[in-house]
Amino acid sequence: MTIIPQPKNRRRVLIASLLSIIPGLGQIYLGEVQRGLVLLFGLPAQTAIFWAIGGQWLAATTVIIWAWNILDARKLARGTKVSLAVPILLLVVLNLAAGWHVTKIDLYELATGVPNMRRIGVSLFQPQFVVRDVRASAVYTVPGPDVTKLGYRSEPASDAPNISVSPDSVVKGQNVTVSGRKFPSNQNGVLRINVGSDWQKISIKTDSNGRFISKFVNQSTEPGDYIVEAIIGLPFNQWHPSETLKLTSRLMLETIFLALVGTAMSIIVTVPLSFFGARNLMKTSRAGRIAYAATRGLFNVLRSIEVLIIAVMLTAAVGIGPFAGVLALAIHGIGALGKLYSEAIESIEQGPIEAITATGASKLQVIAFAVVPQIIPQFISFTMYRWDINVRMATVIGLVGGGGIGYILMQYIGLLQWKEAATAIWLIAAVVMSMDYASAVIREKLL
Amino acid sequence: MSLKIEHLTKIYDDGTVALDDVSLEVPDGQFLGIIGLSGSGKSTLMRCINRLIEPTSGRIWLDDVEVTAADSNELRKIRLHIGMIFQQFNLVKRASVLTNVLTGRLGYLPAGTGLYRRFPSEEIKRAERNLARVGISEKALQRADALSGGQQQRVAIARALMQEPGILLADEPVASLDPATAHSVLKYLEEINQSDGITVICNLHFLSLTRRYAHRVVALKSGKIVFDGSPSEIDNARFREIYGEDAEEVEVR
Repeated sequence: MTIIPQPKNRRRVLIASLLSIIPGLGQIYLGEVQRGLVLLFGLPAQTAIFWAIGGQWLAATTVIIWAWNILDARKLARGTKVSLAVPILLLVVLNLAAGWHVTKIDLYELATGVPNMRRIGVSLFQPQFVVRDVRASAVYTVPGPDVTKLGYRSEPASDAPNISVSPDSVVKGQNVTVSGRKFPSNQNGVLRINVGSDWQKISIKTDSNGRFISKFVNQSTEPGDYIVEAIIGLPFNQWHPSETLKLTSRLMLETIFLALVGTAMSIIVTVPLSFFGARNLMKTSRAGRIAYAATRGLFNVLRSIEVLIIAVMLTAAVGIGPFAGVLALAIHGIGALGKLYSEAIESIEQGPIEAITATGASKLQVIAFAVVPQIIPQFISFTMYRWDINVRMATVIGLVGGGGIGYILMQYIGLLQWKEAATAIWLIAAVVMSMDYASAVIREKLL
Repeated sequence: MSLKIEHLTKIYDDGTVALDDVSLEVPDGQFLGIIGLSGSGKSTLMRCINRLIEPTSGRIWLDDVEVTAADSNELRKIRLHIGMIFQQFNLVKRASVLTNVLTGRLGYLPAGTGLYRRFPSEEIKRAERNLARVGISEKALQRADALSGGQQQRVAIARALMQEPGILLADEPVASLDPATAHSVLKYLEEINQSDGITVICNLHFLSLTRRYAHRVVALKSGKIVFDGSPSEIDNARFREIYGEDAEEVEVR
């Protein structure tokens, strides 16, 4: 069907098109005030935002929306109201493009940079949970004009496994004898000699007295110190947890307790406060409504400040360490738990309260028998959930000096000790996953 | 217990006139049925009697005690004598049936006693007796929400009986129940009315149930009493007057 424009209609179209050169005016003229106002203020605002973050070229893209605005005005003048799907989709795409620009996404760098993560990635799968071998090392020297011997040829403790090389100063092609003692008896192992960037490896086996003797030919011509390391497997019954595992476990426990105490501190403050944050209890009087608004306001403010920020601020007061972390979790937790508790109180049924009030029970008895049984399961459930979140948060707080496992993890990463870092990371993952699971199971039972 | 209401008016904050100058006398031991459409003021009237809702004006006496003049301590003592049951039963769902029944006794106990959820053994025996009376002794230790609607309402009756009330207010006690269960619940109300002499005031939707159980019927329409008499006096014309021109009577047998 073709619409033949009437003269009056044609004038409307013309006026609308001309007016909509300033976006939105055409729509306002045609009575679509809301759409017009959104265009009138929205389009310049969007353009300004693009200009600010991406410069003139990004800002210029909004000309597409401007063009759509003129088309829309013309269509409106002819009596059809176009759906907003197209401009909204366009805006989403433009804003995503702007976001791409702002966040400096660089796929080339990602593709070329990933191999640099190889060592980290490999180490991640070599966490040091158990010690399965004993190691000892010694150094020999290829002499040269500028070589000074390394200083660390210290005497090992007499009962510790140790190796010695003889002679300890060799030229290329010369035999080197390595002898080890005080190792576990009758075990297989490997001797590795550091040659340049690689290791030369020789299989060895200890005798019944825990000794071995092995020979190799020095291949190095480059003057300098070379490390020889013996790695002898431990029999299964002598495997033991590594020092890293012991340390990280202790700090993991510290983190869990840090979260526990932080959560407990929030509960002590939040349980009484949350009643003031429950609209159904507070709406009856003017003072109550003010208390409600103040409490909810406090909860919102506390909740919206990140735990990390609170922790960093608190380290100024109480110094670096777990206490700053505990306080940060407690303060943030008041906001988070307060909202949940208050909403739990708001969602209770009035019926039992009415019924028990009607029996002539006191206010305290009504709370004890009608309110508390209704909120206890939810309170416990929310608290479990909070503790679970707090364990994760406590880990992150450690990164900025709040103590716990996060702190040691940061040190491992700083010292490029990736295997030790991997130990901590896997431990955190295991604990967080099991707490997550446990709290989910318990919450399901309760509700 | 006898009840006397004089010029009772309730206007809600939003301006709704729920009760408009209602006066009523209920002699001791009567089973009074109150009928009327939803929103006619039946529930408000009930809640004004024990002041769950504060009346705007008017006076209420229970025997010779003026309920409307009582301060909050006196009011709690008066409430001991007024049992109440509700359409939605209003039990604490997560608590056991026995605990729910025991809450009916809280007003008799010192404020602190009940807080540890430990009740004197004679109160527990009393609760068991009342549960036996409504025929659900075997459910005592189950959670209240594990019971059927009719059973829950019987628990609510047992809870009200713990108060040893002189008067029982029943606000739509069977509106959430199927007809057969409705009769079983109303029979318990009839039984405690007859054997304990407890005055019963019962809001009901169905005229047929009112005819079957009530000694006397009061009809409310827009907060005013439009009928007060014997159930048998309500003929078709009266019925239309109470429920509106288009209404038709539905029988619950």
